[in-house]
Amino acid sequence: MQELSDKLKAPLTDLLLSIADDKLMLGHGASDWTGLAPILEEDIAFSAISQEEIAHAAALYEVVGTMHGRSADAVAFGREPSAYRCAELTSLGDDFDWSRAIVRQLFCDHFDLLRFERLARSLLKSVAALSKRIGAEEATHVEHADVWLIRLGRGGDESKTRAQAALNALSGAAAMLFEPTDGVDVLEREGIYPAGEGSLFDRWQEDVGRVVAEAGLTLEVVPSPADAVGGRRGRHGESFTGLLDEMCEVYRVEPEAAW
Amino acid sequence: MSKIREQFQAGEGELASSPEADPKAYEVFIQLTRGQPHVHTGTVDAVDDKMALEYARKHYGRDQACVHMWVVAREAMISAGYGDDIIWPLTDQDYRLARGYAADVRRKWEQFRSKEDVDRYQKEDIKDAF
Amino acid sequence: MSAGVTSSEELRIDWKIQEDPDRMAAFQAHIDAKGLVEADDWMPHNYRVGMLRMAEHHANSEIVGALPEGEWITRAPSLRRKLALVAKVQDEVGHGQMLYRTSQDLGKSRDQMLRDLVTGKTRYHNVFNYPAPTWADVAMIQWLVDGAAILNQKSLAEGSYGPYVRTMKRINMEEAFHFKSGEDMVLTLMSGTKRQRQMAQEAFDRWWGPCLMFFGPPDRESTKTGPFMTWRIKTATNDTLREAYVDRFAPAARALGLNIHLARKNPDGLIAVKADGTPDKIEDPLIRLDESTGHWGFTQPDWDEFYRVIGGDGPCNKQRVALRRFSYEQGRWVRQAVMGCAGLPPSRN
Ligand SMILES: [Fe+2]
Ligand SMILES: [Fe+2]
Repeated sequence: MQELSDKLKAPLTDLLLSIADDKLMLGHGASDWTGLAPILEEDIAFSAISQEEIAHAAALYEVVGTMHGRSADAVAFGREPSAYRCAELTSLGDDFDWSRAIVRQLFCDHFDLLRFERLARSLLKSVAALSKRIGAEEATHVEHADVWLIRLGRGGDESKTRAQAALNALSGAAAMLFEPTDGVDVLEREGIYPAGEGSLFDRWQEDVGRVVAEAGLTLEVVPSPADAVGGRRGRHGESFTGLLDEMCEVYRVEPEAAW
Repeated sequence: MSKIREQFQAGEGELASSPEADPKAYEVFIQLTRGQPHVHTGTVDAVDDKMALEYARKHYGRDQACVHMWVVAREAMISAGYGDDIIWPLTDQDYRLARGYAADVRRKWEQFRSKEDVDRYQKEDIKDAF
Repeated sequence: MSAGVTSSEELRIDWKIQEDPDRMAAFQAHIDAKGLVEADDWMPHNYRVGMLRMAEHHANSEIVGALPEGEWITRAPSLRRKLALVAKVQDEVGHGQMLYRTSQDLGKSRDQMLRDLVTGKTRYHNVFNYPAPTWADVAMIQWLVDGAAILNQKSLAEGSYGPYVRTMKRINMEEAFHFKSGEDMVLTLMSGTKRQRQMAQEAFDRWWGPCLMFFGPPDRESTKTGPFMTWRIKTATNDTLREAYVDRFAPAARALGLNIHLARKNPDGLIAVKADGTPDKIEDPLIRLDESTGHWGFTQPDWDEFYRVIGGDGPCNKQRVALRRFSYEQGRWVRQAVMGCAGLPPSRN
């Protein structure tokens, strides 16, 4: 990796962690469906997506780990809860309700695609190259989520009602995806996380809104106030800490040991 | 384990719901490297082409590295063969195969040229075909 | 392409059926000549039903087999192990999918098979009725249970039904990954801390017995000669496979420092504890190589326990079936939704 000034190191760490932590939590939640999804073929497909989310997270932890002289596993499993940068949405359980799993995925996948579009133009060559590869896979996740929302929206009364309920239930947490990580403005100015046309929020609303409309559903996401503090700055709710404890249950038995 | 796996609620006795119809079968053919033929690898059930392609990709496209696939609805396939449905004719087909000539040609060549010369000459023959 | 047996009435074994003797003779000759039977071929009714039962039972076992390890997906202790475990469990679901597909083409709908499974009308492999209470159980399942499955499936790949045989070969490719990953985990634990080695030994104690039972009860003479053997639906006897298994795993376990125990189990599948607080187990006195036969000795597992568990009274029977049922019931509205909006064209060429 190119030399980073100290001024940039902390903000970049936060940004990369926000993406990696999102993906780890999201992939973790999605992977729990393996063996239990509504259709066997979909079980395989959704599990493949969950693996990709976790693999993307692993690749980003590797980058962060290299910056800080730690292993990817130590970064993934070995931090205090307040050092995680994921948004609450990614750790919200779905209670094995398929509509919730799909909507959570829809919101996060569209958001990730936009983040990776930006990072793919980063002046940090290694980050840009990695982001291009991840972005390509992310696009297939977006398609998967889009098609599912459309099927659910058009699939009859019960599924339409459930899909709409899931959109309503998760729209509040969706707004907090956009909470900026500390120092992100510096990264934008320095071309490490170049801004694109329009705000992330507007682009996301447009992209997701198009799919929601095609599915015959509605969505209203109210932007969070600029001073709202959430997961991006280490403030987490119970859904996250519970999930983290479960995820680290074995790791913490002997953190120094190989497993 | 995740809470839901411990605390789920499932019904008991006979299922209240009526049986469901299976979706359609689609056959999947994968190509492992560009230029090689596509080979049948399995079947997926799906309600439409879009779903079939997605499921074929994620299932059969992942347990081996592959570069391309064909997915086709089984109902669109027609088949022939086995039993009384003869594909390969029952009469002697040697006349249309290289191997039907190999021994004769060899014997005849050897009347004109030495064994070694024929060997050298026949090195270029496509061995699989004889 | 699928043959048209549909009603479940027709799907029973019935030895009174008189098949056409000429066709029967030709069929047997084809099988004796190591020929494969394809879905469209004529086959005796009882061959079809026997094959269907076996493939369906196998399919059930794959998707129920996804459950014990599935419990550990959310707790895998490293990124690589997490990815590998998700992929492994996903593979088992894929095996189930392929085997249900094979069974569907023998004449039973997938939905009916899933319904029969979740209402207890059909069975799955007994080994999945045991608990996986620690991470080390995941390691032991992948090493010992997948190891047993490979042995079994290798012999099934010598069978006579083409679609099933091809599926076995495919499945075994993936089992090789499961097995290697299992070996890697067991080796890691056994070269790890004292606590990790102890975890591994305890898990081994839980799985050794069920794995000996994996191949089914001791052979009776009839099973070695019955029609399913002559039709090559079954290709090796239970005792032959069990012997091969012990020959491979007993010396390997001992080389790793794992002791092979005879252990008393509680109804919950965990090893019973004596009054002094230590586990109620002794080393199996018969475990040693018999130089004269070249085979390893071992004490037969508790066959009463086997029949009790198969009869439904095992540590996890209820829980496994109930979780499958939950998945089936929970997924119903989703399946109905997709059936209700079929017709989307593929968007990536
Ligand atoms: Fe399997
Ligand atoms: Fe396996």
